[in-house]
Amino acid sequence: MNHTTQNPMADGSACGAAPSAAEETLRLIASLRAPEGLEERVYAGLIAQPRRGRILHWPSAPRLSNSWMRTAAAAAIVFVVAGGGWGIYSRVQRPQPGNVIVMPPHVATPGGFSSAGAMRTPNTLNGPVLAHPVKVPLKLVKPAVKAPAAAAQKTNRRAPASAQVAAPAVK
Amino acid sequence: MSAGQAVFAGWMEIPDSAVTDEARTRAEEETLAALVSQYSGTLYRVAFSVLRNSADAEDAVQEAFLRVLRHRDTLDEIRDQRVWLIRIVWNIVLDRKRRAKTRPETDDVAELARVLPSDGLTAEEIAAAAQHHAHVLACVEQLPPKERQVLMLSAFEELSSVEIASVLSITESSVRSRLFRARNLVAGLLNHARSLR
Repeated sequence: MNHTTQNPMADGSACGAAPSAAEETLRLIASLRAPEGLEERVYAGLIAQPRRGRILHWPSAPRLSNSWMRTAAAAAIVFVVAGGGWGIYSRVQRPQPGNVIVMPPHVATPGGFSSAGAMRTPNTLNGPVLAHPVKVPLKLVKPAVKAPAAAAQKTNRRAPASAQVAAPAVK
Repeated sequence: MSAGQAVFAGWMEIPDSAVTDEARTRAEEETLAALVSQYSGTLYRVAFSVLRNSADAEDAVQEAFLRVLRHRDTLDEIRDQRVWLIRIVWNIVLDRKRRAKTRPETDDVAELARVLPSDGLTAEEIAAAAQHHAHVLACVEQLPPKERQVLMLSAFEELSSVEIASVLSITESSVRSRLFRARNLVAGLLNHARSLR
């Protein structure tokens, strides 16, 4: 890397001025030699520092060379696991059955809310039946549709009772 | 069996980390030793230019490498370790200087008289030179922080304007404009001090 030629104070292009006394002094200080034995002292200080963040390894892995020891260890693990599971299972109380009121099955009673698809048709009243049909003049029937209500009332007063009954039948 | 493979001993598996941990530690120490031997001088000079005390500068270098030690796992990801280290020590010394009281000029004179090269100079000449440099440094101290930092870093010939910009987290054009202002300001301050005498 070429650092010397790119130094802004060295080329002086940015300022166009000669190095001043301040720059001479600063350069003199910047070019001072490091004291003797600096590297050794710094490195010794670094080595003396306690290393932090080290990974702690498992102290010693058990060496099980014999097969019967492996079998015994495996059996012990199985025993401990099974015993622990059984102990937990035996201590856990089973839930007691609660007082439950059994509801009787719902029986659909006749006349209830369910209609079972049946359609109710109300009975209609039998109206009065005339023995002899009455002839209603057309003049009296027509104003019943177009004439105002007052006129209709006047007509109705003149008309006999049999005509009043027969008028809706014509309509 | 290769080192990358896990080692099986009976039914217990020994992980790769246990096998290569020692080698990794050794490699980290070698990398750290190389960094120290390569850059401690540069870092010391950067620290001394701000703190102007040998012991304080050495402490700052030590602290900078301690921070490197904390981030040693990510050392490979750093593109330019030199600029990165200078940036670390630069922040350390600025922080220390901010916390410390202002150094009197007499302390600078005594320290500069001790550390400046004195080949072929009499004691009086050395004292006069130290006094002159201390006075100049006092004028530099009066600059605004931004301009002063650029001026001090630009005194290091091994630092380019791009690297100065990277250390200060500014653009290269800002470095040049700040340097221009710093030069004008310090020239005015020195002329003003000369006229007062």
